Amino acid sequence: MALNDNTMNKEQTQKRILLATVISFAFFIAYDFFYLQPKQELVNQANAKNAIALEKQQDKNNISNLNQAPVTSSSVDNTNAAPVSNDISSTKIVSTIKTQKNIFEIDNFGRIAQVTLTEAKYIDKDNNQIKLFTSNQLRPLEVRFSDPKINTESFATNVEVSSAKLDATKQKTVLVLTQKLSNTTLTKVLTFYPDGHYDVKAASTNKATFFITPGFRPDVIADMYTDHGALVTLNDGTLDIIKDTKVDKSKELIGVNVASAFDRYYATVLYNYDVSMAVSIMKDKNDSPQIFIHANDKISLHGYTGPKNYNNLTALDKRLSSVIEYGWFTFIAKPMFSMLQFIYSYVGNWGWTIVFTTILVKLILLPLSHKGMVSMNRLKELAPKVKELQEKYKDDKQKASMHMMELYKKEGANPMGGCLPVLLQIPIFFAIYRVLLNAIELKGAPWIFWIEDLSLMDPYYVIPILMGATMFLQQKITPNTMTDPVQQKMFQFLPVVFTFFFLWFPAGLTLYWFINNLVTVTQQYYVNRIFAKAKVERHTKHINEKSHKVSKKK
Amino acid sequence: MKKTGISFILNNLILLIIKFYQKYLTILSFGSCRYHPTCSSYAKVQFEHNSFLKALYFSTIRILKCNPLFDGGFDYPKVRCMSDDKSQLKKLKFKKIKVKYWKVPLNNKYCLILQHNKKWDK
Repeated sequence: MALNDNTMNKEQTQKRILLATVISFAFFIAYDFFYLQPKQELVNQANAKNAIALEKQQDKNNISNLNQAPVTSSSVDNTNAAPVSNDISSTKIVSTIKTQKNIFEIDNFGRIAQVTLTEAKYIDKDNNQIKLFTSNQLRPLEVRFSDPKINTESFATNVEVSSAKLDATKQKTVLVLTQKLSNTTLTKVLTFYPDGHYDVKAASTNKATFFITPGFRPDVIADMYTDHGALVTLNDGTLDIIKDTKVDKSKELIGVNVASAFDRYYATVLYNYDVSMAVSIMKDKNDSPQIFIHANDKISLHGYTGPKNYNNLTALDKRLSSVIEYGWFTFIAKPMFSMLQFIYSYVGNWGWTIVFTTILVKLILLPLSHKGMVSMNRLKELAPKVKELQEKYKDDKQKASMHMMELYKKEGANPMGGCLPVLLQIPIFFAIYRVLLNAIELKGAPWIFWIEDLSLMDPYYVIPILMGATMFLQQKITPNTMTDPVQQKMFQFLPVVFTFFFLWFPAGLTLYWFINNLVTVTQQYYVNRIFAKAKVERHTKHINEKSHKVSKKK
Repeated sequence: MKKTGISFILNNLILLIIKFYQKYLTILSFGSCRYHPTCSSYAKVQFEHNSFLKALYFSTIRILKCNPLFDGGFDYPKVRCMSDDKSQLKKLKFKKIKVKYWKVPLNNKYCLILQHNKKWDK
């Protein structure tokens, strides 16, 4: 009686576990659909509204608005000292520079007001060219003086430009911006290169100290799946990421060589590996970071505003790839990306790159998995014995597993794949996931037929269903030693749960899993066949011998 | 094991994770372990009986060894036990206890730990 109760309980708990698994999957998907996405839309709407309201307000109190410089002395309350980020309504574009990859627009305060990406790849969903910045944020190359008087004056004085229109598509071109103030004159010499990056040399007279900024991050895609905010790298090789809305206090950093503000795919970067910069991170009204580089009275920097494309960045400087980050899985996602990129350079299609990489990894692991499969097959011949054991110790899992292990030992074969191969899958899986989310190279990357963007879900659910089918097949042809019928049922139900879960995953990730399963199934099928053949051979040999003996007797 | 300190806290944290894994996630990796007891039960015993770093070391080694290149089979957690500690004996209280483990002494210093099965009580 007690025993019966026990099995009943066990059945129930296992059903409950299955239910819990399904519910938690469902919860995550529902959370994403009904909470994260609408929230994002709300935020976008609010941003648009704010922008309009802010511009109106700024119209009214244009003069009273202060673009204060960061104050380093700790005695001053930081919140008061935080610069008010705004767009003075009287800004107008005074110079336009065209390079091979983008168009820069310089406003009348000598800042980069907008960068438009002109490469065909960078278009938004309405087929417009991507513009990196929104109107009401801190602009790249904005200068703030530490003397408030000079600072106020600088935001009321237009700059003089050396040229209103420049063409830097063929060779590097220089633009000089001069701002004459009563106590000092600020000159910015900007050199634009055909590849879309620029150098900036800024200097003031009369030792007027000032700060310069790479600007607020681009605002093209900033969602909750990936990080966005500010990133600085230091001379000692460390990296500091300050996420949006997470700045509670201003921060001072020294020994900085790269200062970047980034969203999912784009960044505005000021860097110089030859000097070590001092940088202040201030918070704006949303507690998001604003970067100010201490320039004293002169500074020389390189600048990049555009996509975080690995080849673009490393062409400027090898070390600049540190600007691309994949969240806390960077340590494994980065090598994964390098490997994918290497294979891509031969294959030329990201979908096939994923396919080949998966097959390659499987091939490397072949000796390992082959050994497991062979011993698994050897044990298949012991199936009656295993079944007997399972029957005998039906109610004592621990004992059953102990006796099973004894049997394996006696036969010198172990059918299990091991925990390590299973665990190894997890980081590989996450690395590919992060690369698919974060690498601009994989955005809009097609595979074949209907897959037009590997970083988005499969619109017709074909790959997830194929994935589920191969998983089911894999279970069918893999001999397993599950003792418990309830557990076995749950196990069989897993492909369904996985298919459901993968429906909304990036197509590239599902593709990886599908190919992974496919290779395993093929391998298993092959091993099974070899064994079946060997068995038949042995059988016929046996029969032959028997008949031989019989004939001898006669 | 001491019932205080950072090691104790970390051990309990890991034990919580193992408990969660054994309850809800084993179905995902079912039937993969090449050892008896399984890696998760091994790690559980380790974190219950050893200091954090030691337990982490032994559990990691165990998981690394759990692949087709190694034979697998029986591998019970081995921990230092205080069989030679006389003061321990004096502290013994004689009362009814719930058996959780069986410590099987190997030599003066080390014991193998076998998990007790409730079914054996009946």
